[in-house]
Amino acid sequence: MERKTIETRPQVQRLESTLKRLRHQAARYPEAGALVAFLVVFLGFSLTAEHFLTIQSFAGMLAVIAELGIVTVGISLLMISGEFDLSVGSVLAVSSMSFALLLRADIPVIPALILALIFAALLGLLNGLIVVITNIPSFITTLGTMMFWRGILLAITGGTPVAYFKSNLVFQVLNSRFIADFRTSALWFLLTVIAFHFLLKHTRYGNWVYATGGNEEAARVLGTPTKQVKLINFVISAFLAGFAGCIQFARFMAVDALRGQGLELEAIAAAVTGGVLLSGGYGSIIGAVLGVLIVGMVRTGLVLAGAPPYWYQAFVGVVLIVAVIINTRMKRRAR
Amino acid sequence: MRKLGLGILLGLVIVGLIGTAALAEQKVYKYKFFIVSHGGAADPFWAVVRRGMEDAARLLSYSPEYEIEATYFGPKVASPEEVVKLMDAAIAANPDGIAVTITDPRIVDEVVRRAIEKGIPVIAINVPDMRPEPEKIPYMFYVGGDEYLGGVKAAKILLKAAAQKGITIKGAVCAPQEVGHIGLETRCRGFCDVMSDNGIPCEKLQIYGEDPTRSVEILRSYFAAHPETNALFTTGPQGTLPAIQFLKEAGMVGKILHVTYDLDPVTLDAIKSGITLATIVQQQYLQGFLPIVFLTLYNRFLLAPASDVLTGPAVVDITNVERVEELIKEGYW
Repeated sequence: MERKTIETRPQVQRLESTLKRLRHQAARYPEAGALVAFLVVFLGFSLTAEHFLTIQSFAGMLAVIAELGIVTVGISLLMISGEFDLSVGSVLAVSSMSFALLLRADIPVIPALILALIFAALLGLLNGLIVVITNIPSFITTLGTMMFWRGILLAITGGTPVAYFKSNLVFQVLNSRFIADFRTSALWFLLTVIAFHFLLKHTRYGNWVYATGGNEEAARVLGTPTKQVKLINFVISAFLAGFAGCIQFARFMAVDALRGQGLELEAIAAAVTGGVLLSGGYGSIIGAVLGVLIVGMVRTGLVLAGAPPYWYQAFVGVVLIVAVIINTRMKRRAR
Repeated sequence: MRKLGLGILLGLVIVGLIGTAALAEQKVYKYKFFIVSHGGAADPFWAVVRRGMEDAARLLSYSPEYEIEATYFGPKVASPEEVVKLMDAAIAANPDGIAVTITDPRIVDEVVRRAIEKGIPVIAINVPDMRPEPEKIPYMFYVGGDEYLGGVKAAKILLKAAAQKGITIKGAVCAPQEVGHIGLETRCRGFCDVMSDNGIPCEKLQIYGEDPTRSVEILRSYFAAHPETNALFTTGPQGTLPAIQFLKEAGMVGKILHVTYDLDPVTLDAIKSGITLATIVQQQYLQGFLPIVFLTLYNRFLLAPASDVLTGPAVVDITNVERVEELIKEGYW
């Protein structure tokens, strides 16, 4: 008996050290926690929801994920640089509504799309300028602009939807079925992910983003143009929200003043689930994508599993907190 | 000649005097009414209510007997809290009657009771006080739609259409587009009660008006998991949009029967193109028009309806959609 114990001890130690090494390595990847959460949720639904593992179900999830994902990519970039954007839901609605109103004013679809996107970017620039010039925390600034733009939309439309009944090629390219039930919006999401993953990981600008969010003072001393980085990220965040709004409009061809309400919190929840730190300087686009995948899966998975509708929010809340606990523990170990 | 002139003048004076005396005998009833609402003044829905109110006041004032002054009090953007301030202002003007929306009874309870205690005739419009009798504000009666009966009507339309098409409804679903909205929940309850009475399983499926993409996928997932379900009731335009998109994209038009609530361009188009059977409406023009007529009758003759006056559920379907579309443009629907 005694001999056996002595024999196993080195094995246990070896196993422990391997696990430690694994955890240590995992901690270097912000997406590790999200990957675990993703696998757990995926397995869970595969076992409990009958129609979960079908092409149709994946296509449906991807349609939801694409729009939320495009917004989350922008928000993640901004969060890594240490700022917040609560106005993305309102910006999505403003951009979608501008697109609709421009089209109804007989402006051709391509100029209308470009104008709507420029408008969205300008709203982001406004957020950025307020934050950078006045030093008001972005949480407060964008809370203000979120309410302001929503109010303006309600006042202009009085709550009545604006519809446009003529489909066209641009709508098809932006958001239509291209294979089975898969939609082109997923391709736009993929393109966005690749572009911003590259920007963040393989360019000097990416380093600046991390530096600005990590320690702004030190970054500035070392020559990082932190204010410009923040401004640009605010513009990117709003632009991508606007883009998601136009993609959505291309499918439904109608928009009302409440569109996108609450989206900001879902996007932030997805980003945080994916390992993006609220305090900035840490996170990745791939992690954020995993976060979005989790939220998207939960959204449709629960319906397929026949769970009561109110469970969705509760479930997302649990996933969010668990993922954040895993992430912070891993990050602490990495230090 | 002079005598004749004098005679004519005298005659004219006498006729004039008699005439004035006759006019003086006809009393002019001057009434001042207010409609106090939680609805934004810029909201097209409330613009129709206001139109109804103005039309009633003008029509009555054509009679030399009446001078009706009716004013609409509403916040810029919809707000139940604003109603209290607006009610205070209305009470201060000491009117002959007020029609008010009881969007949140707890918020407006005190101010509406104060108006009633001051002896001002008060009618509830658009939203009644849904609390039971002891707590309920003792206004005269209610003029507006009925959410529960709206759901009942939607179910009956679906069942009738199914019978006509030779389709058996095997399952029904009500999809409210806002979480925790009591009005929408009541519509669903009315709908599912009728379905259950007919032995049809009926479920509530939460969708999200602010996110149509997600709502479409929820509908798609639900109908994938429940392929036998073939009746769908959405409870407002924000639910209509994803519902018709789902029906079109999934090739389910005509296979899943759809009824919805309220009017908007998308709904009208869906009814015209046969995707949606019908929509339930509450004819809000009447919610502005009728209170002015009722308050005038009450002030003048003490006459009042004995119970609530329902302006809805009314139905827009393929038989009247074209005419309704014209009337929307004219501002009556």
